[in-house]
Amino acid sequence: MELLDNLAIGFDTALTLQNLFYAFAGCLIGTLIGVLPGVGPVATLAMLLPTTYALEPTSALIMLAGIYYGAQYGGSTTAILVNLPGESSSVVTCLDGYQMARQGRAGAALGTAAIGSFIAGTFATVLVAAFAPPLTELAFKFGPAEYVSLMLLGLIGAVVLASGSLIKAVGMIVLGLLLGLVGTDVNSGVSRFSFGIPELTDGIGFVAVAMGVFGFAEIIANVEKKGQREVLTSNVGSVMPNGKEMKEAAPAVARGTLLGSILGILPGGGALLAAFAAYAVEKKLAGPNADPPFGKGNIRGVAGPESANNAGAQTSFIPMLTLGIPSNAVMALMIGAMTIHNIQPGPQVMTSNPTLFWGLIASMWIGNLMLVILNLPLIGLWIQLLKVPYRMLYPAILAFCCIGVYSINNTTFDVLVTVFFGALGYLFYKLHCEPAPLILGFILGPMMEENLRRAMLLSRGDPTTFVTSPLSLGLLLAALALLGIATFPAIKSKRQETFQEAD
Amino acid sequence: MKLRIRNETDFWSGVMFIAFGLFFAAFATRYDFGTAQVMGPAYFPTVLGGLLALVGVLVALAGLGREGEGGKLERFHFAELAWVLGAVLIYAAILRWAGLLVSMLALIVISSFASHEFRWKEAIILSIVMAVITYLVFIMGLKLTIPVLPAFLRN
Repeated sequence: MELLDNLAIGFDTALTLQNLFYAFAGCLIGTLIGVLPGVGPVATLAMLLPTTYALEPTSALIMLAGIYYGAQYGGSTTAILVNLPGESSSVVTCLDGYQMARQGRAGAALGTAAIGSFIAGTFATVLVAAFAPPLTELAFKFGPAEYVSLMLLGLIGAVVLASGSLIKAVGMIVLGLLLGLVGTDVNSGVSRFSFGIPELTDGIGFVAVAMGVFGFAEIIANVEKKGQREVLTSNVGSVMPNGKEMKEAAPAVARGTLLGSILGILPGGGALLAAFAAYAVEKKLAGPNADPPFGKGNIRGVAGPESANNAGAQTSFIPMLTLGIPSNAVMALMIGAMTIHNIQPGPQVMTSNPTLFWGLIASMWIGNLMLVILNLPLIGLWIQLLKVPYRMLYPAILAFCCIGVYSINNTTFDVLVTVFFGALGYLFYKLHCEPAPLILGFILGPMMEENLRRAMLLSRGDPTTFVTSPLSLGLLLAALALLGIATFPAIKSKRQETFQEAD
Repeated sequence: MKLRIRNETDFWSGVMFIAFGLFFAAFATRYDFGTAQVMGPAYFPTVLGGLLALVGVLVALAGLGREGEGGKLERFHFAELAWVLGAVLIYAAILRWAGLLVSMLALIVISSFASHEFRWKEAIILSIVMAVITYLVFIMGLKLTIPVLPAFLRN
């Protein structure tokens, strides 16, 4: 079995004492930061990126993956205990998780989330290991035209699956693409949009953008909200769900896992969409007579989305690892991290760096196991952390952000760029423009331009090159279909309904 | 005919997109446009800038036309914005010569002013704690090369 051989390579790498330590450290620190209200996985990853600079690439990626799962799990903890989602994929967990907590079943909700996530993570890891090699082979058949079509599909996916206005998401993506073009043009050597500032000739740092629009803007938005958070700490209860709860949660976990795995692979998909879809499915299946009703503490409303978002988080690594194309903002950050370590993401990583590739996959499962072991006993600690008032938390968060941004290039210029994007992010927040598509566009901008130029050069300026290659045509048709589905009236209203669940 | 903005967030989002789109497209005119076969540095930005402006027009029109469903622009809290971002600006400005410890104190105390529950004592204690923590984690632990002490105390 080739799959087993590959996994053996992976576990050999991931199970060294050193890498186990980094997986553990990543999960722990990721959860610690992710628990903080208003700090989601993207901000957490951006903030903690510098902690991995000194490591060798494999350990660094293993640690970052750990940080990602940790942050996601930390966000769920906050969602259940404080009714304050760290980021959008835990929004749905708030609905029933917080209600469960109010009824004294916080422990069961947290336990279900942890166990469901672990099961989903295990399944998704196997899926990644099984699908990565054939997809990598497909990726080698990709020329520039196919890459352009694929990126277009990814961007359209991100638009369709963004929560909120479609057309505004298009605007944010295009703006992101444009911002990504700032800096030296590789073909002509011309320094574009740099306003004579030497630092800008290297382009805008993606960490600065992510930290600004996700970290800083979020802090300002939270600070201006008056009113107290209510932390439910009185009675967490047993973390093991009781028999009845388990019987209800088990099928929801299975459905969430499957749904999340599929939606995670889709370009533009990932944890967020998976969680929303799983919640909608569970609610639909339970019908109006669910007991207790959805939104009033039904355990299936926690089990389904939590499993789905973890499965989706995992399988969204597939397009990133095989094609080098990020499908969401978190993967965009992972690609950024790989380039910092001089690894060019793409299909060649599997053959040129098999220990890194399979080590990362194996560590996904180990990371998930650690999360369960780590988090159930540590819930008390997270509760203590959540009791710290926000007025003392946000300056600390700000401090970590500032050091993180500074240490990427050891320049204060990046800190200034972050301030600019913090202000811009605040404007986005007030205008209800979602920043996630912007980040995706930002990373894809230069890639897309390069491949577009190459494709057009190869075809001698003939744009039909995108439809004469069957692979490219297929991808474009898929993009068109996706767009068609999203604008189809019946689906459109359904889509709004799904995302409005959260309001 | 008097135009009424029915959905303020949509309308102003559209205006923002138009402004960015026109800016990028206009700024790109100083670069070489090239041809479809050999694209110059201006080609892609011009196309994207035009597209963004067009999207902006659509969004803004939607803001004018739609029946007044919500979309009311919330108040901007410039004081909070200024304290938080101002603290970071000061941090960035003084880090090189004041060193990590001093700039951390400044960052924490100044940004704390953004909270409506600001307390001097708390902010000062927090800033000292954070200065120590960041020193231990980033300098001792991760060995980042950030100047620690103020310039006149370094040797």
